[in-house]
Amino acid sequence: MKKIMLTLKINGDKYEIITYPNRTLLEILRDDLLLTGTKESCGEGACGTCTVLLDGLPVRSCLLLATEVKNKEITTIEGLAKGEKLDPVQESFIEHHAIQCGFCSPGMILTAHSLLNHNPAPTEEEIRFAISGNVCRCTGYAKIVEAIQALSNRGRE
Amino acid sequence: MRLPPFEVLEPATLKNALSMLEKHKGKVKVIAGGIEIVGLMKLGLSAPPYILSLRKIKNLQGIKKNEGQVIIRSNTTLREIIESSLINDLFKGISQAANLVAAPPIQNRATIGGNILQNSRCMYHNQSELFRNGLKPCYKTGGDMCRAVKGGNRCFSVYQSDMAPALISFNAKARLEKTGSSRTILISDLFTGKGENPISIGENELLTDIIIPIPKGQYSSAYEKLRIRKSLEYPLMSSAVFMSGNKNGEIIDACIVLGAAGSYPKIIDRASKVLKEKKPSDKDIEEASRAALQQVEVADNLPVPASYRRKMAIIYTKRAIQKALKDLRKDRQL
Ligand SMILES: Cc1cc2nc3c(=O)[nH]c(=O)nc-3n(C[C@H](O)[C@H](O)[C@H](O)COP(=O)(O)OP(=O)(O)OC[C@H]3O[C@@H](n4cnc5c(N)ncnc54)[C@H](O)[C@@H]3O)c2cc1C
Ligand code: SF4
Ligand code: FES
Ligand code: FES
Repeated sequence: MKKIMLTLKINGDKYEIITYPNRTLLEILRDDLLLTGTKESCGEGACGTCTVLLDGLPVRSCLLLATEVKNKEITTIEGLAKGEKLDPVQESFIEHHAIQCGFCSPGMILTAHSLLNHNPAPTEEEIRFAISGNVCRCTGYAKIVEAIQALSNRGRE
Repeated sequence: MRLPPFEVLEPATLKNALSMLEKHKGKVKVIAGGIEIVGLMKLGLSAPPYILSLRKIKNLQGIKKNEGQVIIRSNTTLREIIESSLINDLFKGISQAANLVAAPPIQNRATIGGNILQNSRCMYHNQSELFRNGLKPCYKTGGDMCRAVKGGNRCFSVYQSDMAPALISFNAKARLEKTGSSRTILISDLFTGKGENPISIGENELLTDIIIPIPKGQYSSAYEKLRIRKSLEYPLMSSAVFMSGNKNGEIIDACIVLGAAGSYPKIIDRASKVLKEKKPSDKDIEEASRAALQQVEVADNLPVPASYRRKMAIIYTKRAIQKALKDLRKDRQL
């Protein structure tokens, strides 16, 4: 297997990586770029801990060949905060105790961030559908839903 | 779980893609959304020397209406289908099916083509290499026994696409291209009927379009799916229903298709016969739902017992018929 040259755009930065073609985006993020905020759990699409945003939409980085995302915008959890200032979704998760062990949180927060970008006033049902691909074994989801609801324009109208 | 080695081919045109498929016939696998193929490679269930990516090919994505039909290009994502008001207005059952596939992050990547062409599954087969190494190979992997059915003489793996049954209920077709020629066949004819190797497309063929005829007159459709959790789950049994009616409230035509009821989507002709040319009574609906049972071929190879899935074939068919009928009658009052 020959090595290839990959150019990836992650959190606004351009990375040039020489690697093998049979690697997932998740492997590149964690092993090569040490962006370990993105977690690996099931490795087969069934849990959501590996969620990243691809052109703004949540996807499974464990099932994504890195070669498939050349020239696309990738956002990982490291890309949400602006310097010391956390993203409103991150703040809301902390404020509403929506984080326990924290393993699902990067994926959950990115998913919520994307939802609110596309739909600033989601209903509870829409929130639950949006996060339905992200498994959390700790919180029971109620606090997560509250944290997202607090940011929904719906509540403030 | 690491991926086996392979080389990536990235043709920029359909023509080049077809000639690469021809050149590497038997040694190349197409990657669309990658949801299935990457998973299978991780489990060691697929190890092609070449992966052919569709990502650079322009115009292989999109939905358009023309002359009595809607054409969905094969690389269109399930998200695009769910968000399409055209699909939701014309083909509710198809929209409902897409909405019920796995969960949004998978719908964001998975394509309609890849969803239809997915392999059949079994809990003794879709497992890690380590798990499988402890067992003798079964029919699906070239052996001569089935672990799910004692004494079984073939593979009972389950075809679990949600999209295919809904598309078949509308008589949808698939367009397949290879270098020098193309063919358009009913989606129901894409299947071999065999669990060992359920999909019958040539190794040098590319699925390019899904073509759905727009039914005439008044019609409705629905899709109902059994799963344990409300998301992230393949269907354990499902039923897609299409029906058309006349002004008197009689059913003119009906098509009922079961998903996850065997190695291919099952068209229940008997159920359509029971419902057609009348205003179906509760008794007719019951009879049509029970007819589903005759075609169910299930084994204990999914997370719930076969006996339960068999019962649910009746229940979910009944729910889908009632849902479609309600819609049809509602439309009539408008
Ligand atoms: C956790 C999880 C839950 C799931 N739940 C469901 C569910 O509830 N319902 C359901 O229906 N599915 C479910 N799936 C399966 C998933 O929907 C399919 O794997 C997905 O739709 C496949 O689409 P893809 O574009 O990613 O295909 P790929 O993985 O890219 O390809 C799938 C197959 O089709 C071939 N292929 C793809 N496009 C073409 C083409 N144009 N021409 C020729 N060959 C082609 C590939 O070579 C491969 O063999 C689930 C998957 C996971 C991981
Ligand atoms: S149904 Fe039987 S033959 Fe088919 S994959 Fe499962 S164990 Fe193997
Ligand atoms: S690690 Fe990717 S979905 Fe579980
Ligand atoms: S906080 Fe522990 S898995 Fe969600």
